[in-house]
Amino acid sequence: MTDSDQHPYVEWIASEARRPVLMDPGARDRIMAAVRAEPVPTPVPAWRRLLQPRVFHMSPAGSALLAAGLVGIGVLTGVATSNRGGRAAEHPRDVAVLPSQPPVSSPDTMYKFVIVAPQAGKVSLVGDFNDWDVAKTPMTRAGQSGLWTVAVPLSAGRHLYAFVVDGTTWVQDPSAPIAPDDGFGHANSVKLVVGGSSL
Amino acid sequence: MSRSRVVGLAALLLVVSLPLRAQEPEQQDRMAKLDIKTRGAVELLVDSAVAEGLPTQPLRSIALLGITRKADGRQIVAAVRRELILLRTARTALGRVDETELTAAAAVLEAGAKPTQLATFKNKQRGRSDLQAFTVWADLITRGVPGEDASSAITRLWDEGADDATFVSLWNNVQSDILRGLNPGTALQNRIREAPLRPPTTKGPQTPEGQENARSE
Repeated sequence: MTDSDQHPYVEWIASEARRPVLMDPGARDRIMAAVRAEPVPTPVPAWRRLLQPRVFHMSPAGSALLAAGLVGIGVLTGVATSNRGGRAAEHPRDVAVLPSQPPVSSPDTMYKFVIVAPQAGKVSLVGDFNDWDVAKTPMTRAGQSGLWTVAVPLSAGRHLYAFVVDGTTWVQDPSAPIAPDDGFGHANSVKLVVGGSSL
Repeated sequence: MSRSRVVGLAALLLVVSLPLRAQEPEQQDRMAKLDIKTRGAVELLVDSAVAEGLPTQPLRSIALLGITRKADGRQIVAAVRRELILLRTARTALGRVDETELTAAAAVLEAGAKPTQLATFKNKQRGRSDLQAFTVWADLITRGVPGEDASSAITRLWDEGADDATFVSLWNNVQSDILRGLNPGTALQNRIREAPLRPPTTKGPQTPEGQENARSE
C-alpha cells in the first residue's frame, strides 16, 4: 500500500503526526519545580505495611496445591493427636501429662487369662484389645498340666475376648459373662475393668 | 492445565499422603485385608458414627473380628451397620454417656432388650456404674433367660440400689444353676426371689489375677 492509496482521513492523521511539536522552553523547569514542591514521603512502619491490604495472583493449579497442603497439614495434625478411633494418643511414659480427670485405671494393669486345654498344640488370646489378631497374644502352656496362661495389659472399660485353640476353634471363657452374638455366629466373653480391678 | 502440571500435582498429593499412611495405626494394616468395596462401606459407617458423635472403635473392632473370623465382606458390613444402629439407639435411650457404657448398653439391645427398658438407667446417681448390670443383663438373655424376665429382674435390682457385687452374685448363681441343667428362666426366677441378694463374701470368678477356674474343651 502506498500513500496515494490511503484514505484521506488516514493521510490527515499521518500529516498531523508528522507535524513538529512546539515545546515551551520553560516547561521542564516548571515541572521540576512542581516535583520539588511535593512533600518528601515519610517511611511507613513495618507493622503498618503488614496491615495494608495486598492483592495476590495465583493460578488455579497453585490454589489447588496450597489447599491440598493445608488439608494435609490438618489431617497430619489430627492423626498425630488421636488415633482413628477417636481416643487420645498414648503419651510416652517419661512425659508428664496432667489428666483432665482422675484416672480410673492404669492402662498398664496386667490381667492374667487362663484356660485348660490339655489336647491343644497352641492357644491364643484374641480380643478387642489386640485387634482380634490371633498372632499377637499367644498363650504359654504351664508344664504338662494343660493349663495355658497369658497376662495382658488392659485399660479401664469393657473388653470382649475369646480363646483360639489350634488356630481354628474359638472357645468362650466359662468363668466370664458372655456378650450376644458378635454378628458372625459366635458369642465372646466379656471382661469389665473398672477402677484398676476387673469385675 | 497442561499434562506436566497434572502429573506434578498428583506427585505432590502423593508425597503429602505418604506420611499420613506411615502414621496410621497397625489396625489400619489389618483393615487393608478387606476388599476395597467392603472397606469403603465400613469407612462410610465409621464416618457416620463420627458425624453423630458415636464411638468408632467398636465398629472397627467388629470389622477386625470379622477379618479374623474369615467372614465375607457382606457379613462384615452388616455386622458393623448393626452395631452402629445399636449404638445410636442406646445413645437415644441413655443420652450422652461414655463409650464403655454405650457399648455395654448396645449389647443389651443386641441381646433383645427394648430401648425403653434402658430408660431406667438414664438418670443414675453420680458415680454409680451400670456396666455390671448391663453385662449381666446381656449375658442372661444370651444364655436363654427370657428377655422380659431378665429385663424386669435387672431393672428391679437397679431400682433397689443393687451394687456391682449383687449383680455378680446373681450372675454366678444363675450361671451355675444353668450349668447344673436348670431351665435358664427358672434359674433366674429362683435366684431373684432370694431377697435380699447378698454380695459375695469372696470375689467373683473374674479377679484381677485372672480367671483361675476357667475350663474348656
